[in-house]
Amino acid sequence: MLKYTIRRLIGMIPMLLLISIVVFLLAKAMPGDSLSGEIDPTNTDPQYIEQMRERLGYNDPLPVQYFNWAKDFVQGDFGTSTRYKMPVSELIAQRLPNTIFLGVSSLVITYILAFGMGIFAGRRPYTIGDHIIGGLNYLGLAIPSFIAAVFAIYFFSFNLGWIPYSGSVDIQIEKGTLDYWISRLHHVLMPAIVLGALSTASYTQFLRNDIIENSRKDFVRTARAKGTPTSKIYNVHILRNSIIPLITFLGFDIATIISGAIITETIFTYPGIGQLFLNSVGNQDYPTMMAITMLLSLLTLVGNLVADILYGVVDPRIRLD
Amino acid sequence: MVNVTAETGSQQEKTINMSPFAIARRKFLRNKLAMISTFFLFAIIIVSFLAPYITTQDIAKVNIGSMSLEPGGEHFLGTDKSGRDVFTRLLYGGRVSLLVGISCTALVILFGTLIGSMAGYYGGIVDSVLMRFTDFILNFPFLVFVIVLNTILFGLVSGLWVLIGVISLLYWGGVARIVRSKILAEKENEYILAAVSIGCKPSKVIIKHLLPNVLSTIIVQATILFASLLVIESALGFLGIGVPQTIPSWGNMLSSSQEADVLRNKPWIWMPPAIILTVTILAINFIGEGLKDAFNPKSNR
Repeated sequence: MLKYTIRRLIGMIPMLLLISIVVFLLAKAMPGDSLSGEIDPTNTDPQYIEQMRERLGYNDPLPVQYFNWAKDFVQGDFGTSTRYKMPVSELIAQRLPNTIFLGVSSLVITYILAFGMGIFAGRRPYTIGDHIIGGLNYLGLAIPSFIAAVFAIYFFSFNLGWIPYSGSVDIQIEKGTLDYWISRLHHVLMPAIVLGALSTASYTQFLRNDIIENSRKDFVRTARAKGTPTSKIYNVHILRNSIIPLITFLGFDIATIISGAIITETIFTYPGIGQLFLNSVGNQDYPTMMAITMLLSLLTLVGNLVADILYGVVDPRIRLD
Repeated sequence: MVNVTAETGSQQEKTINMSPFAIARRKFLRNKLAMISTFFLFAIIIVSFLAPYITTQDIAKVNIGSMSLEPGGEHFLGTDKSGRDVFTRLLYGGRVSLLVGISCTALVILFGTLIGSMAGYYGGIVDSVLMRFTDFILNFPFLVFVIVLNTILFGLVSGLWVLIGVISLLYWGGVARIVRSKILAEKENEYILAAVSIGCKPSKVIIKHLLPNVLSTIIVQATILFASLLVIESALGFLGIGVPQTIPSWGNMLSSSQEADVLRNKPWIWMPPAIILTVTILAINFIGEGLKDAFNPKSNR
């Protein structure tokens, strides 16, 4: 197991290198000069611009430029944002906690909803309750998340006024108090539900089918024969077996949340990484854009790796070597 | 095609004397939900593509005299903030969105099937190289790279085709994997050995013998893809980086809901595209479920 993990981790390195080359070339191909923001915009003297280009290394051959960028990047120097005039690493450090908070809340909501509905439907297959949950799942899978978000804002924020429609916290509240955290939770609730709807539907579907399948197995018949109460059979014997395969979904969730966060954060104007990324593309803030693209690619790689490794942990029959 | 599938079909199917595709067709035609969805989808497609004949309103003309009119009267669904007729834009927008969806689906299926079937059939080094490449593509966060590539290519090629090209280029990985695994299983059959031993060229074995037998999987994949690509197009349009803003599409129309005033007070501008998009995607999903059910030999409905 350890050997496989290490081999996969080493295998990630060439993939990361390739992705970094692609990201670098893409940033070079972007319209406009990729770091032009570092030059004083009021000074249009061609000689000054040429000097600055020379000093910032824009006249070096591409491989040298790539090498310099990669060297700085590995050391944690992501360059300076041309829009916010501050180091990109600080900018990301400001926004990242918000996105992680959103992602974790969305996962927690997903698990709570999916377990509740999946266990309920799995215990009573082909009843009205099961069909209603099935129908809800269908909607969850089919309705695009941004449409769900727009309707949610329209009904819950504007018409009913239950939920704030923008920001991550009420700025008037003092930081660190209980109210502050309640306000944060209040703000994150709607985006998190919208972000988690898709995974909730697939988790519920999977859990329901797995519980139904397991309930027909021999060990359940044995448990029934020796007089174990039905609720204990479902909550202990079957659930334990059905949860295991679910663990492997976690890795894929990371990738889903990354793509979802870009859209969800933009709609709810939630100040996270996804919103920062879209703004940086719109404002031609290339250092920020490159750093976030690399970060998200790295997270996707790690997510896929986690999924593959968990597969092996959960099901020893899958041979890894 | 029918001959090959009939030979490999199970004993039971031989006795009924129907090919698997005929059985699938019969099952699908009996599935009410799937049939209604199919009619609905075709109606949407036909109405959208006939838009210039159905409505005579000019989609591009900005009409200051009739800005943000409520539904009713001359404008069936009202007008947007520039005074353009929402219903007209809905029809034209459907044309663009469906065109992007259909072309992307076709291209993705083409790339994916090509790479997947080659990797699966040849195996060995070809397989490793192609699958490494597929992994490479799959490891990109899709939305991030679509946005970046779209920004770069935006000025170079005319609007719509940039988006179609970029999405197709980055989305075929999943299809390639599925086709490869199906081909790997299918090529172990003896009729493939027979075809190879009588001297069929690899291209002929793949196209004539292997692909027809994985066709059902590809068709089901195509419907799922179509739905998700429609979502992607509209999501990008909604974010303002998809189809150029001058061309109406369902996504572009929805992007007006990002203005709080429109979202709160003028629901007739953003609700029609939102509803029609959701219903279309639901219909495609029902068709996909119906097809999956129809091609599944274990289900007997």
